[in-house]
Amino acid sequence: MSPAALAVSTVLAALLLAGGYLLGRRTARPARPSDVGTPVEHATFETLHTASLAAPPLRAGLTRESAAKAAGRLRSLLGTDALCLTDREGVLAWDGGGEHHGEGVMERVVGVLDSGRGTAFPVGCGDLDCALRWGVAVPLTVDHRVLGTLVAYAPRESAVLASAAGEVARWVCVQLELAELDRSRTRLIEAEIKALRAQISPHFIFNSLAAIASFVRTDPDRARELLLEFADFTRYSFRSHGDFTTLADELHSIDQYLALVRARFGERLSVRLQVAPEVLPVAMPFLCLQPLVENAVKHGLEGAATTSRITISALDAGAEAEVVVEDDGVGMEPDRLRRILRGEGGASTGIGLLNVDERLRQVYGDEYGLVIETGVGAGMKITVRIPKYRAGVHGS
Amino acid sequence: MSQTYTAVAVAVVVLATVLVGGFGLRISRTTSDFYVASRTVGPALNAAAISGEYLSAASFLGIAGLVLLHGPDMLWYPVGYTAGYLVLLVFVAAPLRRSGAYTLPDFAEGRLESRAVRRLVSLFVVGAGWLYLVPQLQGAGMTLKILTGAPGWFGGVLVALVVVVAVAAGGMRSITFVQAFQYWLKLTALLVPAIFLLLAWYGDDRPRPVLDLASTAAVRADHPLYATYGLIVATFLGTMGLPHVVVRFYTSPNGRAARRTTVAVLALIGAFYLLPPVYGALGRLYAPELPDGAAADAAVLLLPERAIGGLGGDLLGALVAGGAFAAFLSTASGLTMAVAGVLTQDVLPARGVRQFRLAAPLAIVVPLCGSLLVSDAPVADSVGMAFAVSASSFCPLLVLGIWWRGLTPPGAVAGLLLGGGLSFAATVLTVAGTVRSGWPHALLAWPAVWSVPVGFLAMVLVSLATRARIPAGTNAAMARFHLPEGLT
Amino acid sequence: MTGPSAPRREVVTGEPRRVRPLPRYRAQAEIQEQTALGGAYVRSLMRSQLRAALTVFAVLALTAGTLPLAFAALRDATAVWAVLGCAAYPLLTLGGWWYVRRAERNERDFARLVKGRPAP
Repeated sequence: MSPAALAVSTVLAALLLAGGYLLGRRTARPARPSDVGTPVEHATFETLHTASLAAPPLRAGLTRESAAKAAGRLRSLLGTDALCLTDREGVLAWDGGGEHHGEGVMERVVGVLDSGRGTAFPVGCGDLDCALRWGVAVPLTVDHRVLGTLVAYAPRESAVLASAAGEVARWVCVQLELAELDRSRTRLIEAEIKALRAQISPHFIFNSLAAIASFVRTDPDRARELLLEFADFTRYSFRSHGDFTTLADELHSIDQYLALVRARFGERLSVRLQVAPEVLPVAMPFLCLQPLVENAVKHGLEGAATTSRITISALDAGAEAEVVVEDDGVGMEPDRLRRILRGEGGASTGIGLLNVDERLRQVYGDEYGLVIETGVGAGMKITVRIPKYRAGVHGS
Repeated sequence: MSQTYTAVAVAVVVLATVLVGGFGLRISRTTSDFYVASRTVGPALNAAAISGEYLSAASFLGIAGLVLLHGPDMLWYPVGYTAGYLVLLVFVAAPLRRSGAYTLPDFAEGRLESRAVRRLVSLFVVGAGWLYLVPQLQGAGMTLKILTGAPGWFGGVLVALVVVVAVAAGGMRSITFVQAFQYWLKLTALLVPAIFLLLAWYGDDRPRPVLDLASTAAVRADHPLYATYGLIVATFLGTMGLPHVVVRFYTSPNGRAARRTTVAVLALIGAFYLLPPVYGALGRLYAPELPDGAAADAAVLLLPERAIGGLGGDLLGALVAGGAFAAFLSTASGLTMAVAGVLTQDVLPARGVRQFRLAAPLAIVVPLCGSLLVSDAPVADSVGMAFAVSASSFCPLLVLGIWWRGLTPPGAVAGLLLGGGLSFAATVLTVAGTVRSGWPHALLAWPAVWSVPVGFLAMVLVSLATRARIPAGTNAAMARFHLPEGLT
Repeated sequence: MTGPSAPRREVVTGEPRRVRPLPRYRAQAEIQEQTALGGAYVRSLMRSQLRAALTVFAVLALTAGTLPLAFAALRDATAVWAVLGCAAYPLLTLGGWWYVRRAERNERDFARLVKGRPAP
């Protein structure tokens, strides 16, 4: 490369980098209002904007990480020199100067944590450069439980700061309450999965063991095989870790389930599986297909004494996998099915379907609910769409 | 006569593709083979599928044509296409699979926790995919024109139609088997005629091929050494970001299998690339007077007829034509599916199977128009540009995203826009023919040498300047990318 | 077929719950809290894997970086044909094979370290 070309390209690269830097900084910073408003409007907007920025981290609950993110924004919301967030055990985050006061904070807030009422206190400091002379501590309360405190510091006593700190603390509490709500909803789903597992057990376990027992004399090898399948199946269904699995694992468990069902019903059940192998690694919520197959088996065998046919297919559809479970059994009255999916179906019927529908919508959004085609005596076809990737969904 | 054979060969390839695609599902009726049917794809099958999709028109026709015209320096192309997989293997393969991402936008979103970065990456994936589709469709047009005398637009339209119909009819339900089939088809279509050609050459008392560096025609670039380095950088680093390559890795059941698959890919495409130089060398001997320009890509197609002749030559020519068509089809369908997937996920409003089928025509019509408008760039050259864009945008994103905790969303945006954007701009300027000679032309036509460092630097510097924006889940993502299976 | 006895199917879907999907990135943070293998373990694994990767890449980059210059200096066409047309591919595959062996050994060593088992 000639020196001239080298110089030109160096200058060019430097310019580009500077441009990229500015661009990155711009995307990194929140946009400011372009409209020219009054100073009061500006201040209001600033306040609302800062408040909205502080909200998302707090929605994850009161942790060291969320506190670190929120503290700075809460401090600029209050316009104070230093701000500290604590939980019941210790300081979670300190924002602003005078961090050396952090050590004494917990002694100051013991009373607040116990009584749930705010307090103010003078701050003595040997350091002449330190501007903090006064602090106000207010409780963070959710459901009558004090989760922690918010402490704001100022150079002098200030009634405005004291009441503002109270207001900000109330706002933080609302966010934390919402976080609790999120968490309890997740817990509810977890409880439902557990219920689903529990629901599999009594009936199915009894029937499977009875079927296996019937082979012990006539066909001991088969009995041993089935017992192993049974052990594998229950291990999968009752495993305690992780909410997600892979399609391959789920199909494997269905395979074992079907082997056990067949042991009981023999030739009355014919199953056809159609799999595009590229969708097997898809991560999906745990036990989302097994209830559908169980449903198909039940409907199929409820019908006439003739053979029941079940087709399970998992096909590749670009960024999604499409799983279809179809049976030619008794089907269902569409209105009854609608009631079941609304949760009005009564205790024993179709909890599995409702649960799967709810969990799919919860994880992937409303457009990923079950699509069921059925009619009385027309069999049933259930279609599930599973995105190949969704942030936060990882099979284990 | 030979036109009939060619038409038959092309028809057979299309038919076989559709059949394998539609019926290549694993089906079981009894419980005993249920397990076999639901077994994940092993490294060998998946490697054949990746290779089948990867070996495009540029590999099948372009390399031999370039070697014929410009000498053995052009062999850097196949070496680069192969070495790209080595770089992909060591930096990307296992962590990318373990990330669970299906597409590059998935990876960007999962790693950087930002919808904005996701959308930007989607734009680049669509852009790079289209850039790569143009030469595929051009090549198809040229092949059919030479072999059957059909008008130049016909081949591209035919490929586009077959792909759209297959996708819309749900015909590509099991793409892995289709692509694996295409690999072996392409290998056969090049290997069998090569054996006969070598026999013919042996029978001719082994005339010494002209091995000169740049014998015939023009020197390809004003600064050939710079062009070679540009090519090396683009292909070595660009392979990892090609949209259709990335999605195939999802088929591997885990990170370890992804790694083994990549080594198998290295072996498979390495074996394939031993053949084009044979055509290039023999082409210099038997067909030195081929018309220049894009038609040099026709060397592979015409060689059997010229060197062997007769019925045998016609049949072998038809086989090569079938293989070439398989090359257009497999790469075009893979790219179309990858681009359509991104379009449905991130560009079109609603999601679902129907949208995916609607997105497929959209994904291929744009590059089809492009291929009809821009008609004189040699196939391998245009492909090189897609590699350059990928190397300057996706390579920094993947490598830094996988190995560096400091990457931030603003950093990624800056790197993508500067590295990827500038190389894209350079490509557009080159294709538009704004600059035709001297250093400006060399710099624009082979942008990777400067645009890759720009992309990396921009990503690193802006990330360092915005350290507060490091995603909260970075450590978790790193653990997921790198921890071996069975430990987490 | 369409007689009164032929049962008809109807499409049924649940009603939109209008649930806010679970926060997209929360799950990741939770994994982070749960990861029992500390960050230091992951970092050490990453370092060893990166070392293997950089070794292969350095050899590749050095070779590819010097070869064009060597070819230009030699001006020997046969060498170009032999190296680029033939020898390169087995070497690339060999490089890949070496890396996979190395990376898998790193992972095995790491697994042993984490599980606290002595080397066999």
